[in-house]
Amino acid sequence: MLTAVKNQVRVCALSIKYNIMREMLNQVTFLMNVTFMILNNASILIQWFILFRLREEIGGYTMREIMVLWGLTAASFGLSHILFARVYSLPELIVSGKLDSYLVQPKSVLLGVMTSSTDVSAIGDLLYGVILLMVAGLSVRGFLFSLLFVVTGAVTLTAFALLLGSLAFWFVRVEMLSGQMVMGLVSFATYPDGIFRGISRFLLYFILPVGMVVYHPVHILVRFDGGMLFTVLVYACLLSAAAAAVFYRGLRRYASSSLMEARM
Amino acid sequence: MGIHLGVWNMAVLFYIIRKLVLREDGVMQAIHVEELEKTFRVRRKEKGMRGSVQAILRPQTEEIRAVKGVSFGVDAGEMLAFIGPNGAGKSTTIKMLTGILYPDGGRATVLGIDPAKRRRQLAYQIGTVFGQKEQLWTHLTPYDNFRFFGAIYDIPEKETERRIGELAERFELGEFINTPVRNLSLGQRIRCEIVASLLHKPQVLFLDEPTIGLDPVVKESVRSLIRQMNREFNTTIFLTSHDVGDIEKICKRIIIVNAGQIVLDDSMEHLKYHYLHKKIVEVKMQEETALPQVEGITILKRKGTHARLEVDTGRIEIGDALRRINASDVEDINISNVPLENIIMDIYKAEGRDTAS
Ligand SMILES: Nc1ncnc2c1ncn2[C@@H]1O[C@H](COP(=O)(O)OP(=O)(O)OP(=O)(O)O)[C@@H](O)[C@H]1O
Ligand SMILES: [Mg+2]
Repeated sequence: MLTAVKNQVRVCALSIKYNIMREMLNQVTFLMNVTFMILNNASILIQWFILFRLREEIGGYTMREIMVLWGLTAASFGLSHILFARVYSLPELIVSGKLDSYLVQPKSVLLGVMTSSTDVSAIGDLLYGVILLMVAGLSVRGFLFSLLFVVTGAVTLTAFALLLGSLAFWFVRVEMLSGQMVMGLVSFATYPDGIFRGISRFLLYFILPVGMVVYHPVHILVRFDGGMLFTVLVYACLLSAAAAAVFYRGLRRYASSSLMEARM
Repeated sequence: MGIHLGVWNMAVLFYIIRKLVLREDGVMQAIHVEELEKTFRVRRKEKGMRGSVQAILRPQTEEIRAVKGVSFGVDAGEMLAFIGPNGAGKSTTIKMLTGILYPDGGRATVLGIDPAKRRRQLAYQIGTVFGQKEQLWTHLTPYDNFRFFGAIYDIPEKETERRIGELAERFELGEFINTPVRNLSLGQRIRCEIVASLLHKPQVLFLDEPTIGLDPVVKESVRSLIRQMNREFNTTIFLTSHDVGDIEKICKRIIIVNAGQIVLDDSMEHLKYHYLHKKIVEVKMQEETALPQVEGITILKRKGTHARLEVDTGRIEIGDALRRINASDVEDINISNVPLENIIMDIYKAEGRDTAS
């Protein structure tokens, strides 16, 4: 059992390593991608600097909380897209029948598919996010907690995309919807939750799990709350389990295809 | 009490499994298929813009019964050709046997394992080659790919190295083993695909059109490799191909499917024997002469002094048939059996090329 897990982890690690190796083949493009993503993210933060010149507090957040919020969002997004970029294009893979090669291997199909590609610019996101968290003035303990939340955030984000993407086993045109939902989640995750009230607030905590990815973590980092921490952890686990269950249930409906194809 | 029940349970279970996978004489069946079914649901769309709008408002689905109750068994070490016209359901059957597709009905076991339920366990013991699909990563070299496959199949690194060396030599991959797969020619790539699928020493090898697009020399080397695998390791071979050469040179048994159903399941020898009562006689005469018009001789083609006749030896002895031809006129003569290709074509035609519906 333990060796099986070890072997599975080894295969995933190899797969991710090969993905990144491929992207690094072209060093110039690689570095450009990473740098531009960092600059791109940094430019948006400038608008917040300006806003906080005008007002002390927005939606209950000061500049420090905004930095933590951005740090968590960017790093979670980055981590998820470095390791599991394929989840975000899962519907296309399902509809065009490109899961065959993962299905004939004696390893987890889901993990095999998930780790089969990477998004280089996400390395920029991750670096940027972690740097922000470092300079946001958190205590050492707080910083370590923030790293934990980067992981839970990445897991929740990935599971959310997987859940929506797996619907492609049932509905052919799910691609757009799932893409929009994931991008929606990420954009909401860059605004203070205090500005949302009523129904939209409910949606952000329970339908788009932005609350679980960043709002709760930000609150916990400001003022520790064990109950919230528990909620975040349990939510990440439950959503992952649900997403995997939906994926495997859908796999029975997988129709393959006879298109010429290459594994890229 | 509990333990006793457990033991009984095990015994009965064991008996049932034995019954299911073993034949009477106790030989393990490599593949066992009973009434296997697969239906695809596809969206139907009428022509043009109007059809597109309709498809959104009122989506219509159509059922394609790709495999309709197929049953057969394959013994360990057998070499089977699973053939049929385009769209007959061959690839669909292979995909169900390898765990890619979930069957809609019936049962299948490969090496006693149900592919739909214990996909991973089965994957350790079978190899798959799809001529039209790549399992290798295109940006890696074959060598790195093989190492990755080694990890996937939990083969220790040293052992992987050893097997790569061995297979690379046998398949002559030396020249390009360190070139990224995307820069390889089709033939080189297919050879690498086959090596990758053999790395874990599978007991059953599924090949779906493995020689598609290969030149005759590479084709021949692929065929001899498959035969060699079978000879040395008693690997069971399950092959689909449209190339009669593959079928003739590799397989001892042939199953023909059409429109999702088996129409023939016979040994190659038997099949040929059945059709062997027909001979093809090709003659070149010195001048245009009348050809014999007797029962049992059919003129297939005639052009000037050339003629091709089919002699039905069930109705007329070949000697008699030859005597009808004016021997002093014959410049050249060639007598041969009906090619396998024609035999197969006849069977396809006899069963009608109706599409699955
Ligand atoms: N993914 C799919 N979705 C819908 N229908 C499919 C799918 N795959 C196959 N079919 C249909 O099922 C039938 C059998 O297809 P299959 O690919 O098994 O044929 P085949 O015997 O392999 O033919 P070929 O010799 O052309 O490879 C065909 O009618 C085909 O249209
Ligand atoms: Mg096919």
